[in-house]
Amino acid sequence: GQSYPGKPKIIRCRSLEKETFSCWWKPGSDGGLPTNYTLFYSKDSEEKIYQCPDYQTSGPNSCYFDKNHTNPWTTYNITVMATNEIGSNSSDPQYVDVTYIVQPDTPVNLSLETKPSAGVMYLWAKWSPPPLADASSNSHVYHYELRLKTEEKEEWETIPVGVQTQYKVIRLQAGMKYIVQVRCKLDLGEWSEWSSERYIQIPSGQSPPEKPTITKCRSPEKETFTCWWKPGSNGGHRTNYTLLYSKEGEEQVYECPDYRTAGPNSCYFDKKHTSFWTIYNITVKATNEMGSSISDPHYVDVTYIVQPDPPVNVTLELKKPINRKPYLVLTWSPPPLADVRSGWLTLEYELRLKPEEGEEWETIFVGQQTQYKMFSLNPGKKYIVQIHCKPDHHGSWSEWSSEKYIQIPTDFRVKDMIVWIIVGVLSSLICLIMSWTMVLKGYRMIAFILPPVPGPKIKGIDTHLLETGKSEELLSALGCHGFPPTSDCEELLIEYLEVEDSEDQQLMPSHQSGHLSKNAKMTPKETDSDSGRGSCDSPSLLSEKCRESCTLPSTLQTQDVRDAQENKEGKRRWETQCIVSEQKTLPSNSESTKSSTWPAAQLPNNQPPMFAYHSTVDAHKITLNNTNTNVAPFLLGNEEKHQSQYPITETVHDHMEKQREMENLHSKTAQTTVQVMQNRPNDKSPFLNPTLMDYVEVHKVRQDAQPAVLLKHKENSGKTEKYTVPGTSKEYTKVSTVMDHNILVLMPDSRIQHTSVSQEPAKETSQDLQQGQAEKNVSYYLTAPSECKRETSGSDYMDPSSFMPSFK
Amino acid sequence: CHTSGMPTPNGKEYAQKIPREELTHLILKLLQAWKEPLSHFNQHIEHHQELPDDSLSKAKQISNMVHELKTGVEKMQSMGIISNSLHGMESSEAASLSNSNEANMMSDSDFIHCFRRDSNKVQSYLKILKCRIMPENSC
Repeated sequence: GQSYPGKPKIIRCRSLEKETFSCWWKPGSDGGLPTNYTLFYSKDSEEKIYQCPDYQTSGPNSCYFDKNHTNPWTTYNITVMATNEIGSNSSDPQYVDVTYIVQPDTPVNLSLETKPSAGVMYLWAKWSPPPLADASSNSHVYHYELRLKTEEKEEWETIPVGVQTQYKVIRLQAGMKYIVQVRCKLDLGEWSEWSSERYIQIPSGQSPPEKPTITKCRSPEKETFTCWWKPGSNGGHRTNYTLLYSKEGEEQVYECPDYRTAGPNSCYFDKKHTSFWTIYNITVKATNEMGSSISDPHYVDVTYIVQPDPPVNVTLELKKPINRKPYLVLTWSPPPLADVRSGWLTLEYELRLKPEEGEEWETIFVGQQTQYKMFSLNPGKKYIVQIHCKPDHHGSWSEWSSEKYIQIPTDFRVKDMIVWIIVGVLSSLICLIMSWTMVLKGYRMIAFILPPVPGPKIKGIDTHLLETGKSEELLSALGCHGFPPTSDCEELLIEYLEVEDSEDQQLMPSHQSGHLSKNAKMTPKETDSDSGRGSCDSPSLLSEKCRESCTLPSTLQTQDVRDAQENKEGKRRWETQCIVSEQKTLPSNSESTKSSTWPAAQLPNNQPPMFAYHSTVDAHKITLNNTNTNVAPFLLGNEEKHQSQYPITETVHDHMEKQREMENLHSKTAQTTVQVMQNRPNDKSPFLNPTLMDYVEVHKVRQDAQPAVLLKHKENSGKTEKYTVPGTSKEYTKVSTVMDHNILVLMPDSRIQHTSVSQEPAKETSQDLQQGQAEKNVSYYLTAPSECKRETSGSDYMDPSSFMPSFK
Repeated sequence: CHTSGMPTPNGKEYAQKIPREELTHLILKLLQAWKEPLSHFNQHIEHHQELPDDSLSKAKQISNMVHELKTGVEKMQSMGIISNSLHGMESSEAASLSNSNEANMMSDSDFIHCFRRDSNKVQSYLKILKCRIMPENSC
């Protein structure tokens, strides 16, 4: 439908220069009918209403107020009326003061330039004020504003310019492209629009160059020289370098004669321009568009800056003189440029070499000669060698010459090889021999090298010893020629019998069997209670003496006795004297430690004297093996029970007999012992290993008329146990055991069958002993020999008289 | 340097061009010019406590060497080794140079610097002489 028009709206009123102004309105709806717009205004508070003078100039829907109709400082009350057939509508009034609605046009002719100033680039912007329709003389004073930004940035930087139509922007980033705009306004009016954008590229590197530095000056042959410099950091393409120098004593400054010969950033002074013994003052100047800078001065006297080229023509020659080792001769030539021939430049050389795989160079100073002889190189190896040179005074070393490889020929001397072959053969032979020896005689060697550790002295006889039955050997090994011991063996008082009053004493009168083996060697003196004393230690035993003299330990015997003794209170100890024989230790057999066993001279000794029988138990083992001494006699008494005794005897016996003996011994009868004894018929004294045995002077005993003490051969009818100790007039028998405290069992001769003797109350002890001995070892040695010796003196012997009383 | 006034060849070619006698003469002149200043210097540094003992003895040693060198060259000159003709050129200017005060006025470092230079000169000239007279000997 049609209606009256909508209300128009005045959108803006603008003045360009405060002398004219325009208003524009926006029509409302036209109501479907052609609409007519009329603008009415009034000034200030006047009543008069005027109409718009010009609807055209400013375009449609506008009203242009020209100069005549424009009064600044006047408030216009403007309304627009829209009229159509039906009706009209009026806009809201707009109060306009021209002063405040002024907005000029944008400035024009914006021009941009970059200029360097004081080492900095700046942007110079110029423009013109907005043009006016009429170039009136009204000098409108515009205020301008500039804004710029780089292309990447988002935000503008706005700079108030003032009334100037140009401006210099200083804070610019070199190399960036800037966008610049400008606008203006009049007094209190409004800002114009921004002018169109202008672009400007700031050139990069636009600053004076940094100071170059002169790095070095060198003369290769002491006739010319070159100087090099390093540009400063800001040296772009357009930086120009000039080298200036002056000589000592002169004011004149020259420029480098040659920039090219030596490459970029260098200056070459040829012969004409080189003077010696004068100091040059050299500087380099760098110039670019922004300015120039000069390096620090460099003072140089050519005499001191000589650095030659490396030597050339490095050659090797292998010289092989007769009768001498070949050697290498290294030769070289001075660098070509150096004039050594005239003496102007004298060079010294130095070479270095290392094996190809080596890490460190060996440097050798050669001096002024141009050759070098190398003697001490390893044949077959490859070496690397290098040479360098320097002037003999002042100056620096040249670079090293290129690497030269040397291959030392392997000098395969026949002589050397033969020597090595012989050495190899010999050593292999020796190894073979040694291993063979080891194999064959391993044990013995081991024993020789590592002597067996003596075990504890155990009372008792080691059955094993007996078993092995090598008494023969043992005896012979002991050095005694058998039983009975010879005179020197008499003193085999290896052990001393510790006799007590107590029940221990079991002296078995071996009378029955005629064992006069009273060889317990009782040294009266030694009745010390220290039963543990080895015969070695006991003074009475004179062990040393005995030891030395005799080797055969009469282990068996002593053990025997000992057994008997010990059982009881363990006081008696059989002591194996110190090593009587070499060790044939026992371990289990073959070895026989010759231990001299004291005959089980358990003398019933009412006396306190205790004779310590040190265990020869081990001895038994040993002795069994190889003593020939018949310890058997000793075993007489104790045998039966004391297994251990057996071994003792055994040891005494010969090797072969040993076996028998052992068995015998084991038979636990006195007889066995006897047998044992017998087993060594060949021996001198069946059981008297001179060293081992105690010998009782039979006669003494006899004197005492102790029936029990059958020393000598009463009992033994048939067996003489007297070991015929050669040289002794006395007869000695070994006391094998002591029984019942008052029965002295003498050891029979080897052949003697002692039956009775073997009774031995202390059976168990023997067992113990035996066992003990079993494990132990042969390390007990009876110092039979020494004992033997001792025996010569009557004192060493068990004095039957001493225990006589005990006999009953 | 007090010897700066002396005209000496400062390049190889110049040195080679000079006849031997003149070169010898130059050498002797140089050596002579340093005789006095060296002894002066030795006296001077003896009072310097901060110098190590080596320096003092070295300085003495150097002046001795200079003296000996001069004597040697003179001898060679008189024996005719250097030149074919027997010359006994002995110039007085060197002596005067030597005795001049100039040398005494130099600072220690200058003194050493000048001496170093002049000794280098002498050495170079002598080497050239040597290779001229006896070229086969490592020349």
